[in-house]
Amino acid sequence: MSQASNKVFANGWMLAVYLFLYLPIVTLVVFSFNDSKLVTVWSHASTRWYSALMQDSDLLSAVFLSLKIAFLSALMSVFFGTFTAFALNRYRHFRGRTMLSSMATTPLVMPDVIVGLSLLLMLVSLQHWLGFPQRGLFTILLGHALLGTAYAAVVVTSRLKEMDGRLDEAAMDLGSKPWQVFTLVTFPLLVPALVSAFLLTFTLSFDDVVLSSFLSGPGFNTMPMVIFSRARLGLNPTINAVATVTITVVTIAVIASSFYTSHIERKRKREMALAYSDSNQ
Amino acid sequence: MATAPKPQTDSKAITKEVLLRVEGVTKIYDGTVKAVDNVSLTVNKGEIFGLLGGSGCGKSTLLRMMAGFEKPTKGKIFLDNQDITDLPSYQRPINMMFQSYALFPHLSVWENVAFGLKRDNMPKDEIAKRVDAMLTLAQLNKYAQRKPHQLSGGQQQRVALARSLAKRPKLLLLDEPLGALDKKLRETTQLELVNIIEEVGVTCVLVTHDQEEAMTMASRIAVMSEGYFLQIGEPDVIYETPNSRQVADFIGNVNMFEGEVIVDEPDHIIVKCDECTHYVGHGFTGNKGMAVGVALRPEKIMLSKDKPKGEYNWAEGVVTEIVYFGDHTTYHLKTAAGHVIKAQEINNTRDLSCGLTWGDHAYMHWGDLAMIVLTH
Repeated sequence: MSQASNKVFANGWMLAVYLFLYLPIVTLVVFSFNDSKLVTVWSHASTRWYSALMQDSDLLSAVFLSLKIAFLSALMSVFFGTFTAFALNRYRHFRGRTMLSSMATTPLVMPDVIVGLSLLLMLVSLQHWLGFPQRGLFTILLGHALLGTAYAAVVVTSRLKEMDGRLDEAAMDLGSKPWQVFTLVTFPLLVPALVSAFLLTFTLSFDDVVLSSFLSGPGFNTMPMVIFSRARLGLNPTINAVATVTITVVTIAVIASSFYTSHIERKRKREMALAYSDSNQ
Repeated sequence: MATAPKPQTDSKAITKEVLLRVEGVTKIYDGTVKAVDNVSLTVNKGEIFGLLGGSGCGKSTLLRMMAGFEKPTKGKIFLDNQDITDLPSYQRPINMMFQSYALFPHLSVWENVAFGLKRDNMPKDEIAKRVDAMLTLAQLNKYAQRKPHQLSGGQQQRVALARSLAKRPKLLLLDEPLGALDKKLRETTQLELVNIIEEVGVTCVLVTHDQEEAMTMASRIAVMSEGYFLQIGEPDVIYETPNSRQVADFIGNVNMFEGEVIVDEPDHIIVKCDECTHYVGHGFTGNKGMAVGVALRPEKIMLSKDKPKGEYNWAEGVVTEIVYFGDHTTYHLKTAAGHVIKAQEINNTRDLSCGLTWGDHAYMHWGDLAMIVLTH
């Protein structure tokens, strides 16, 4: 194949991939500004669905519930995930290590439906015997934290693995007690991984519909649940509006964070180059 | 190699007072792997003691036991007559300079050096004074506010040294201190390092796989293999009087002749080998008929085209390889018995000496005190 046709093919392929990925999203955004009540028929541009969204207290409270759950469950996930990662990485020999290492990541591969169903069964019998927990915010949190812990453990583990174990030893050698090693050296170096684990588990919780459906009780509808149930009754352009708002927020966050990381990376490269240029001594 | 000038090891600073005593230390991993096998040694105050060996010989494990990162399976370690075997690393008055430095990447040079002092709850102004003094010593004042990644390899190495000396440890452990530097930088840094260490007068244990590093820096060396010591001694003793074939072979280049003692007199012995007969100008603790190894360093062999006089201490061969190093040239000569003998000639003139070339027939000869007779 000639170089030119190769290039055409590559570009065409790229275009196809982009269309496949983003055409639906673009359509959704465009139609959120559609005046028509029909989701598929364009009449003229308007922001009426955004005003409708402002009036839609069900949907808005679902959004706030989702944010609340995502925030809290992400915190819990990072907390427990970090402990799991530490146990697996820093303590090489303890009883049940192999079991923990394989069990910790099982939720990653287990279908959500099964996790949700099994949790529901457990919670129902717990409630039967003990009278609690009532299904609602707490149980959804529990389910999301369970899933999120597995993800957070994976993220933190990979960071711990690439961290130089000698740093801990150096800290200890210089007189740090084990807890000081953690607070003064390990934790500060772990912060980037904790942040990305938080963002990941936050997103995971925010868009989960399966677990939430199983674990939620009356009156606790998360945003994805509301969207899902409304979509089944017939699409409503308000959903497009709320989706567009979400997409905008996410896009801004992603662009900002990638700008930030590349800025840090560039700064670091510049400084390293500087170090080598003025070190001829 | 051994010809490199030794930095001024101030022998007056080395007293006979023992600082570190390792008694019968054994480390077994996972119940089976013997990393360190019943090792004992003493390090005197003011000494730089080198642990030399290939990878996996147990030298790092031994160092890590001194630092407190590993517990010996058996045996005791004493520092200043105090049993420190079970003391955790953060309570030992011992500091370590890590291989590849292990500087804290999130802290500045200043904070790295201050790290250990802060753990001791030293008053702030005293910390500042001490850190500044350490930075001056390591010529790092300019870089105090930089992060480790903003420094070159040589500067990072000095930060690591400053950090490990800041607490004024009784014992400083150096784990392959120059391993991460390139060759040119290593030579200057080696001397700098020794000078700084001697300026503060700290006792050191140095771990290295690089014999040159051990030879130039250490006042005594222990050669380690498979978890135990082959020989302990001053660098020149180890080089010129190795106690076994293994040590002779490990340190520097060596030609080994296997032979049999045919004359055993108090003042000389004669060893008959395949390609030559050695006349050794001193007696030995063995007897006639014993199989021995005769080790001969390449730089002690002289080459000539003319047949040497006498019947002892020469061999003949054909030049098969000429390796030019700039300051010296190593000739490989193949004897009739099929052995290859290496001879090293110093290039003390600019025309390449000897006039030997590939395929030439040549004679090698050496003095009667040039070789080492090894019984094991």
